[in-house]
Amino acid sequence: MANIASHARSKRIMDGLSYLLLVTLSFICIFPILWTFLTSLKLEEDIVTSTLQYIPRRITFDNYVTLWQQSSYPKLVLNSLIVTTTTIGICLLTGTIAAYAFARFEFRGRTQLMLAYLVVRMFPAVMMIIPLFVVMRSIGLLDSTIGLAVAYTSFLLPLFVWMLKGFFDAAPKELESAARIDGATRLVAMIRIVIPIARNGLLATCVFVAIAAWNEFLFALMLTTSQGSRTWPVGLHLMVGEFQLPWGMLAAGGIISILPVIVLFALVQRAMVSGLTAGAVKG
Amino acid sequence: MSTAMNRRAVLKAGAAFAGTAALAPTTLRAERAAINYWHTFTGQLEFGALTNTVMPMFAKAHPEVSLEQEPIPNSEFMAKMTAAVVSDSKPDTSMLASERFADLHAMGALTDITDRVESWERRGDFDDSRFASVTDSEGRIYGVPAFAFVDWMYYRKDWFEEAGIAPPTTMEEMRAAAIALTDPAKGRYGFGMRGAAGGQHYIGNILESFGSPVQRADGSVGLDRDKAIEAMDWYAGLYTRDKVAPESAPNDGFRQIMEAFKTGQTAMLWHHTGSLRSISEHLELGEEFATLPMPAGPAARVARLGYASHAITNERNADTAWEWLKFWGEPDVAVAFLDATGYFPASTAAANDERIVSNPIYAPAVETLGFGVPHPSFPGYAGWSENVALAAFQQILIGSATAEQAVDEMIAELDRAIN
Amino acid sequence: MEFSSRIDLDRRSGGRWAALNPLTWLGELSETRYWMYLLLLPSAAMLVAVVLYPTLYGFDLSFRQYRLTRPDLGTGYVGLMHYKRILTDAVFWLSLYNTMIWVTLSIVLEFLLGLLAALALHRNLPGTRVFAVMILLPFFLPNVVAGHMWSLMLDSRMGVINDVLVNIGLLDSYKAWFVSPVTAMGTAIIVEAWHSFPFFTLLILAGLKGIPQDLYKAAQIDGASGFSQLRLITLPMLKTVIAAAVILRVIGLVNSPDLLLILTGGGPGRSTQVLSLYAFQTAYRDFNFGYGGALAVVMFLILMIFAWAYIRISKVNRD
Repeated sequence: MANIASHARSKRIMDGLSYLLLVTLSFICIFPILWTFLTSLKLEEDIVTSTLQYIPRRITFDNYVTLWQQSSYPKLVLNSLIVTTTTIGICLLTGTIAAYAFARFEFRGRTQLMLAYLVVRMFPAVMMIIPLFVVMRSIGLLDSTIGLAVAYTSFLLPLFVWMLKGFFDAAPKELESAARIDGATRLVAMIRIVIPIARNGLLATCVFVAIAAWNEFLFALMLTTSQGSRTWPVGLHLMVGEFQLPWGMLAAGGIISILPVIVLFALVQRAMVSGLTAGAVKG
Repeated sequence: MSTAMNRRAVLKAGAAFAGTAALAPTTLRAERAAINYWHTFTGQLEFGALTNTVMPMFAKAHPEVSLEQEPIPNSEFMAKMTAAVVSDSKPDTSMLASERFADLHAMGALTDITDRVESWERRGDFDDSRFASVTDSEGRIYGVPAFAFVDWMYYRKDWFEEAGIAPPTTMEEMRAAAIALTDPAKGRYGFGMRGAAGGQHYIGNILESFGSPVQRADGSVGLDRDKAIEAMDWYAGLYTRDKVAPESAPNDGFRQIMEAFKTGQTAMLWHHTGSLRSISEHLELGEEFATLPMPAGPAARVARLGYASHAITNERNADTAWEWLKFWGEPDVAVAFLDATGYFPASTAAANDERIVSNPIYAPAVETLGFGVPHPSFPGYAGWSENVALAAFQQILIGSATAEQAVDEMIAELDRAIN
Repeated sequence: MEFSSRIDLDRRSGGRWAALNPLTWLGELSETRYWMYLLLLPSAAMLVAVVLYPTLYGFDLSFRQYRLTRPDLGTGYVGLMHYKRILTDAVFWLSLYNTMIWVTLSIVLEFLLGLLAALALHRNLPGTRVFAVMILLPFFLPNVVAGHMWSLMLDSRMGVINDVLVNIGLLDSYKAWFVSPVTAMGTAIIVEAWHSFPFFTLLILAGLKGIPQDLYKAAQIDGASGFSQLRLITLPMLKTVIAAAVILRVIGLVNSPDLLLILTGGGPGRSTQVLSLYAFQTAYRDFNFGYGGALAVVMFLILMIFAWAYIRISKVNRD
């Protein structure tokens, strides 16, 4: 009895500590974004001032209006979306099965191959850009959204495979064995049992790859030259220029650049958190 | 650009088919008329001036040309141009800052336009010196200057009057004034030192002011160790000993020095003519602040005249690109651009315009045009000054190196950069 | 879902099309001993196509003289010249040292914050979903934006952080954070940790969800404390997830100069100069592709050695 009581007490303490931690961390995470938002509503002379204003005394939406007009935001975001979905598509099609193979099979050269996937990611982007530029140009994919997505797979596909392998590893093998005993082929077992079990990991992995592709800057800057294929971070950076963009507009740019990601995340997060707890893992 | 690329692709494919000869002439005309242009007009004011003033004027004068502009931030310009050179995908025409001429010329990015310039009807509008920064050692010309960046100094007129100090003309006077006007209790500092990105420009100026130019008049390269040490010691001393620069100076770039001046935290500021407008938005021109020529050092008075030129960077559309290069030399265009941005015209004819000559605020710039000097210009200078000189200078500022150590590093690395 | 309905359809149609059904012939193929290689083929082909040439090109460059602004020097092979220079290049060793500090401290901070946040979120207390969204948010901000916003907040003239610290009495006056080597690096690490710790949170959280609850129930019955549950169940079960996260983050940190470029530019006086920044400057400011290539190869080798050692030590590959 005493044991249960002390468990309940320690659970309460842990819950309290968890809340404290969550509130603190949330504040630390949110504050810069909140500050960015407040900054985006200020007039420039209220930002560049010797007396700091916490709550803007005057509110303006000009920063957003100007940014929208100058940046061809819809086109940039559309480009970013195309690049991101193409990257995810390539990763899902080729990466999922690779991660499965690494997680479920013992075979000759497995360790070496896994390392090879990682090694691919290690070569510094700085030095990849020019040769990649030459390759893209020769196959006509320079300055195109598809070309950019292909370039992204060079470092996001290994990320995808490695992350997902971790989740496949964590998924229990019993269900799969049961299905195999029932006569399912390896392929069927993979598609119908393993991938659904690991779907939350798959989702998490996709979210990371999507965010990385959405926010990627260096390749996008170097491999695109025109409005037709330029992505959002590059578009924003071009407006920032040599740090000449007024703070207010920069802040507005920051806020609207995370909107699409937040929307996507809000959709996925529901599935991720609720789906995870009730999901197949328990079975 | 993408439509132009497609057209080119179509054209290439078309050329392979002899049967499409009937189609070719129309495609060709469209092809010749589409050019792309890289520039670094990324600031609000200048970008607006390009797209709302200059480009509409050009479209009116040359309706057959479709000009595709591509803004590229200064910090990435060389990286993108390098990639374009290596992979042979350069733009048709590009902006060419005089500091970049040596590197771009050395990597073969620029097209020789000597003959075009010599036979240009407006060649006479330009003083010969204007072309100096885009001419190689054999006298070949690679660009047409469009406008100038003239180094000068902004100062708080009201503070100087309040303290009864005369505006400085030498560096020692400037230092004395800075000491007098510094009052950390009031949050005031005498000098807005640019210790971070872009600060290398002033390191070059100071070295030359103290008699150790990076590139001597005869074009040879090298530092005079003793004089360079004296120069760096004096300049860093403003921060380390005299404490007339804000504590943040080692991390202050363009944005920070401007904000400090605009918000009344610094009394003097070195920059070029291009920032007059944006400062005027915060402080009253002629009342609160005014402009001065750069102060004289012990050995020389150094102010840079930097020109932004335009160059043909790809042979394929040279004729059309040339129209664009020339267009910036039209006095109407140059003055309209000055009105919109405050950038000085490179054309001597345009610079003598009444609106410039009669404005007292521009007087220091006009004076500077008389004694100003071009940037050092040799391959490797830009990289050395940014990666080596600036970092070494910062080390003096933060106390991790002496002026002697910093200069020794500058000398050793300069040697490596040119050999 | 799609797959299962197709399988049902298949069964109904009596397997007449079975021979043509990809599930069938692929299913047969999946029973062969080459199956795993077939699964790896598409991604491997993709990577080889995109990465092989650029990488070989980079290696080749590192043995060549290739200074874009010095065409007179040609582009011939110079053997190990660049590598010999690296050995005596003070800036390289400084950058290496800075890189190690930058990466190690960032990773430690990110991992600890990420683990704590994940454990707290995993308790599924009321409101978790809102907290989760808030905590993961920083990672969504592009580096460009995050860097600039922090430089505004940390500004020595109008930065809100200085104002807050002065108001609560932790500072006497506004501080210029990026002026002394120690605070410059420290501040940059905090910004980096803020930006990237959600990477660990999300990975660890997803990993935690995969641990069967029975294990904890059993441990509780045995009377194991919360901490020993963490040590004996949670961390071992998360081993591969954590290992993968650490390796991926290390590679990201070593290879990407974005944030430091915006916050400090390597300054003051090279005190935040890291290898990726140095390689970038060598290639695109000095236009010395040969030496830049050699620096990149060295970075690559350092990462390889790290990854190899780390995998050996953490025994990720032994299940």
